[in-house]
Amino acid sequence: MNKPENRVDKIVSDLLHGRRLKLRGGDAEEKAAITAAARLVAARQGPQRMNPAFRKRLEQALESAPTAPWLTRRAALVAGFGLAAGAVTGGLLSRVMEPDVVATRVAGGDPIDPIPGRWVDVAAMSDLVEGQGQRVAAGSVSAFVFRRGDSVTAVSSICSHLPCQLWWDGGHGLLECPCHPASFTPQGISTDKTYPLPALNTVHVRITPAGRVEVLGTD
Amino acid sequence: MSASHPPGEQESSSNESGDVLQLPMAPRATDIALHELEIVYAFIYARVGNRADAEDLTQQVALKAIPRLREGAAASAIRGYLFATARSVLGGFWSTRLGLSEAELHEDLALAVPPTPPSEERADTVQRILAELSDNYRRVLELRFLHGYSLKEVAAEMHSTVGAVKVMQLRALRAAAKVKME
Repeated sequence: MNKPENRVDKIVSDLLHGRRLKLRGGDAEEKAAITAAARLVAARQGPQRMNPAFRKRLEQALESAPTAPWLTRRAALVAGFGLAAGAVTGGLLSRVMEPDVVATRVAGGDPIDPIPGRWVDVAAMSDLVEGQGQRVAAGSVSAFVFRRGDSVTAVSSICSHLPCQLWWDGGHGLLECPCHPASFTPQGISTDKTYPLPALNTVHVRITPAGRVEVLGTD
Repeated sequence: MSASHPPGEQESSSNESGDVLQLPMAPRATDIALHELEIVYAFIYARVGNRADAEDLTQQVALKAIPRLREGAAASAIRGYLFATARSVLGGFWSTRLGLSEAELHEDLALAVPPTPPSEERADTVQRILAELSDNYRRVLELRFLHGYSLKEVAAEMHSTVGAVKVMQLRALRAAAKVKME
């Protein structure tokens, strides 16, 4: 039963019988075949509409759902949510950190002001490549720092939409989110014009007389 | 959210003669979103192929997105937000179920927002996919997915064995995955 053709056939049978996708970690190797099977089953049935009973349940769920107050990442950090906590409570955070995209957000994110904060040495100025993002960690604050001549800027390395760790795409000069198609400039501004995400939080950064780069983070 | 009237309720005011004027109300963001969720549901269903998962994921999208909609927002903005949320939810679904890192799912998440409700044109998607495959691959998927044959029936029809058909089905699905579906 562990052969891929057996696993995929089980999934195909389930789909053809209208059952849920029951997948296991090992099925990842056959992700393409599984998603193709799901799409074939769906395409065979044509566009689907919501079942009236489900629609009613959905409306009831929405009526009883609390409207969670907006929680910024800054507030989350101050409240003690670190990156590790973010991973554990991803569901919660993704819920409360959903951007109010439809509402207007101010470009240039709020700065992260950890309480109590601590300046953390993260790199030597000479280690930073001009214009290239360098990911650093200052306790629970994770950031990308950018050198521009003799100055340095820093933005949070966590996407403003979902609590996912951004990565630096040096070829395009952008910070990319692995969780959805979103990217940000080194200034933390969303590049999507039609669906602009909130700007990344800025992170306090300074250069010491000894040429060290320090980020305001936590212990 | 700003104050609003229940769906269908009309704001009324009186004129000088005492007649009641019925003034149309702009639809609530929640009502617009519920309408748009039909498209989201079809979008999700087309990718997971079963009702139970499609309903769960659609509900996740609704509960995540709708409380955050701003009253007075344009339907297009609401749709964009719902689909952005749907992409995230689908990404989480596949990564959780398959144990994949989200980075590996990037291509799945780069899905365009459908400009209109799904049309019947989608119904021939299967045929377009199958047309791109070799004869044997097309045949096994036709029998299995279009005619609902069991493996044993497919094997009999193709003068093959169940084991060989299973392998062929897997290879055919891998090939189908490479066919551009949009």
